[in-house]
Amino acid sequence: MDRPLDDAELVERAKRGDLRAWETVVREYQGIAFRTAYLLSGSAADAEEAAQDGFVKAYRALGRFRRGAPLRPWLLRIVANEARNSRRSAGRREQLALRAAAADRPGDAVPSPEAALLAGESKTRLLEAVNRLSEEHRLAIACRYFLELSEDETAAALGVRRGTVKSRLARALARLREELGEEEP
Amino acid sequence: MSELESRLTELGRELELPPAPDVAPAVLAGLERAPRRPSPWRLAVVAVAIVAIAIGAAFAVPQARSTILRWFHLRGVTVERVQTLPRAVERSSAAGLGRPLSRKDAERVVGFRLALPPLPRGESQVVYVLDDALATVLVKSEGRPAMLSEFRAPGFDVFKKSAAGKTVIESVQVNGREGLWLEGGPHTLTYIDRSGRFRERTVLIHGNVLFWERDGLTLRLEGHLTKREALEIARNTR
Repeated sequence: MDRPLDDAELVERAKRGDLRAWETVVREYQGIAFRTAYLLSGSAADAEEAAQDGFVKAYRALGRFRRGAPLRPWLLRIVANEARNSRRSAGRREQLALRAAAADRPGDAVPSPEAALLAGESKTRLLEAVNRLSEEHRLAIACRYFLELSEDETAAALGVRRGTVKSRLARALARLREELGEEEP
Repeated sequence: MSELESRLTELGRELELPPAPDVAPAVLAGLERAPRRPSPWRLAVVAVAIVAIAIGAAFAVPQARSTILRWFHLRGVTVERVQTLPRAVERSSAAGLGRPLSRKDAERVVGFRLALPPLPRGESQVVYVLDDALATVLVKSEGRPAMLSEFRAPGFDVFKKSAAGKTVIESVQVNGREGLWLEGGPHTLTYIDRSGRFRERTVLIHGNVLFWERDGLTLRLEGHLTKREALEIARNTR
């Protein structure tokens, strides 16, 4: 059985014009690209367009992709840039309010009603506190923890340096602890 | 990870985010409609690739396929450190620089305002234009000639890496912007022309080279100049 191609092989093939190789890349990363774009643009339609345009632009820029560099942060940077531009051009200023899904995930153990109520209240408080953060802190938290991006990927998505991500996260976490009345760890 | 960070991660998995659409068909359709080269922004692009090398390795295995060892990037520029140089011709003086034009005509052809060092009073500037995209002028420093070339570069991120070897590749600052200084070994120059096709016009260069950016242009100064002399010309180029 053929083994799946890794990112470096797919990129090399795509550089030679192999669109099927690029399709594999798109399908691998379109989920995280769309979610990142959604957090940044605040609109599902804009996020879809940003992901679509981002993957087209990335393909055309493959000649400048550094061989051996990780592909995911590079793609996220391009898609995130599209998402920020679409938000800017649409003149949107309001923040995207994040909401927790109402339904339990399939496979979750069924908690006792009291435990479910307590856990639900705690999550609601935490989410409300995140939504009250400044936009740059909220986006840092959302990229790093909600989307589970690495620090480098968060930096790429936000268009800032890794050190800036670290300091924003530290300040955002401190702010959340303060809001929730929790002690520093 | 702290307890708060764990709770945030857990919360993220329960967030209500819209389902990700499948954009692959639209991406492929877009790429099939407009192939990778040329594309609208690429039409205006001239990218220059400098292949730098340690002399010993170059002549030890002349037939070996070049292996790219290191990459350096500046807006529109890729610098690769390789084991063997591609085949190249020796270049002398102004040969192969393109057709000589007045400054005004050259700016009309390349479509951007040239950034040039001040000319001695009474002298007129001859600008050589290659493929309607790469503009070159001859300049002098301490009586020694050097070539200043410029082209409009695409707006991509800058990537940098340090490297060891006989060709020094060093990051420098020119008027607060990123630059690259190449000194020591010979290297070759190839470029992408205005239509986006990669041109195999490869020439061997023995001088030192400074790359820097200015107002969306990438500038390249080549000659037997010291770094200080090159940086001085670059700072006076407006």
